[in-house]
Amino acid sequence: MTIQILNGLVYGSLLLVLAAGLALIYGLRRVVNFAHGAFYMLGAYAGYAAAQAGGFWAGLAASAVVLALFGAVLDRLVFRVLQDRDPLVTVIVTFGLLLVIEDAVQWIWGTEGRSMDAPAPLAGSVALGGDAFPVYRLAVIAMAAALTAALLAWLHRSRAGLFVRAASLDPAITAVQGVNTDAVAMLVTALGAALAGMSGVIAAPFLSLSPAMGGQILVDCFVVVVVGGLGSLGGAALAALLLGQVQVLGAVLVPDIAALIPFLTMAAVLLWRPTGLAGKRL
Amino acid sequence: MSGAGRIGAGALAAAAAGPAIAALVPPGVLLSLLVQACIYAILALSVGVLARQNGMVSFGHAAMFGAGAYLAGIGLGAPGQLPAEVALLLAVLAVTAVCFGLGLIVVRVHGIAFAMLTLALGQACFEAANKARGVTGGADGLTVALPREIFGLPAATFQRAEGMFLIAWLAMVALAALAALLARSRFGLLTEAIRENEERARFLGYGTVLPRAAVFALSGGIAAAGGVLYVLYNGFVSPETVHWSVSGSALIMALLGGTRTAWGPLAGAAVYFLLREQLVEVTERWLGLLGILLVLVMVFLPDGLSGLPRRLRRPRGAEA
Repeated sequence: MTIQILNGLVYGSLLLVLAAGLALIYGLRRVVNFAHGAFYMLGAYAGYAAAQAGGFWAGLAASAVVLALFGAVLDRLVFRVLQDRDPLVTVIVTFGLLLVIEDAVQWIWGTEGRSMDAPAPLAGSVALGGDAFPVYRLAVIAMAAALTAALLAWLHRSRAGLFVRAASLDPAITAVQGVNTDAVAMLVTALGAALAGMSGVIAAPFLSLSPAMGGQILVDCFVVVVVGGLGSLGGAALAALLLGQVQVLGAVLVPDIAALIPFLTMAAVLLWRPTGLAGKRL
Repeated sequence: MSGAGRIGAGALAAAAAGPAIAALVPPGVLLSLLVQACIYAILALSVGVLARQNGMVSFGHAAMFGAGAYLAGIGLGAPGQLPAEVALLLAVLAVTAVCFGLGLIVVRVHGIAFAMLTLALGQACFEAANKARGVTGGADGLTVALPREIFGLPAATFQRAEGMFLIAWLAMVALAALAALLARSRFGLLTEAIRENEERARFLGYGTVLPRAAVFALSGGIAAAGGVLYVLYNGFVSPETVHWSVSGSALIMALLGGTRTAWGPLAGAAVYFLLREQLVEVTERWLGLLGILLVLVMVFLPDGLSGLPRRLRRPRGAEA
């Protein structure tokens, strides 16, 4: 059982990093990024390519840089240009982007699955209560915790973080105070994309790489941000960890309907408490 | 000519064009492509009706399409209990009824949240179709043997492109005409008023949930009708039919064509299939190119291709 709970925690940690990016972008741009799963997938492949040359950590760094640039360009060319249009238009545009990214990755790397090795010091397994558990999975939890802590520290301790929190509460008033909210939004979109890219690389050694890997996790990610409350980091964190447990424990206890639980939870939350566990109304 | 008269005349002309197209296109790959295009055009139409009357963007309509296909397949596969015709109609009616009940709940959710909700519910149906092996055959899918005659036509008519093209074409035209008539009816105007400003419609004394749920049900019924045609033609349905990529394709067709007119989604489906056919010849990268086209259309032609004539007649500013 310990192993199951740990596995749930591993998947929950991964979702946490990914959903944090989605929630940040929503907070600033009021855009639900349908291409977020594609960012995750693109990040995994970019990391895979860089890891061939420089190992896992180089892959992680390269993925963050590439996706941050990608996010910045996306914000400048799409989100800023479309910010006065119906939010649904931007949603459809990110959906179009998803198709383009998936197709581009298939073009470059083909459709067959690929695998990436965990960094050497983390490759083995440890004994936990009599069962072997891969060290890398424990490292996933640690990496996700470190990234989340860094993000929270940045948001709550730095001046830029203050601007981000202010702009996501009320962009107009924040702009009146002399903050360049477009620059803040660009920074946040770049950061959100970088987090998606890094979670792709973190996932790569224990989930295999394929161009379709973004689709399933995007849906889980939506479940997380909706249940947690859109735009709320704390809510998303709680929901991500809960969803990880629900998926793993559900598969053990009620295997027949386990796959349905996340969707039904999301539907129930949207209908009965549209603000999520801690968030604003859409 | 009155508006209803124009719709009727347009529908008759479109219906008459069906046999002409069937006569001009030789039986083969292109004709069977056109059959698929007509069937998916019906799905795109259902997405378009929901977007136009309710202002709601659905990422989960493959669920209704697939439910229609599965129910029809299951109904046909249980011989001796139901006449095939009844089974097919029941499939459409059942999906419509379920969508009405579901609609009473889900139309309270608006905007982006509705898009995400439909995506989740659609994926829930996909998972259910995968898991319920006893009913749906699970991932292997459901193979359906048609009875010898349906609606007095031999089964082979439904499974050969020459026969099915006419049936799907006429169904598509009839459903689009129905959607167009509905849009200009009192009920259609009411739902448009609610779409524009729900609170004001309530102030005027209208209930707003029931009309929106009715549109959702109608949209689900149209999608199910498309699914029924799908299973008749292919004799097979699998969870892939319910996957959200199918919902996504239907949405692309509807938005490419534009949802302000009933024929927009149909034109979108035609563009989608014919363009894909052309692109596949030249490059494997058709999906990415379609994505780029979708982005360009959404940014520069928010009313889709069917909004183009109006836009050309009345250019807006220098950029048009």
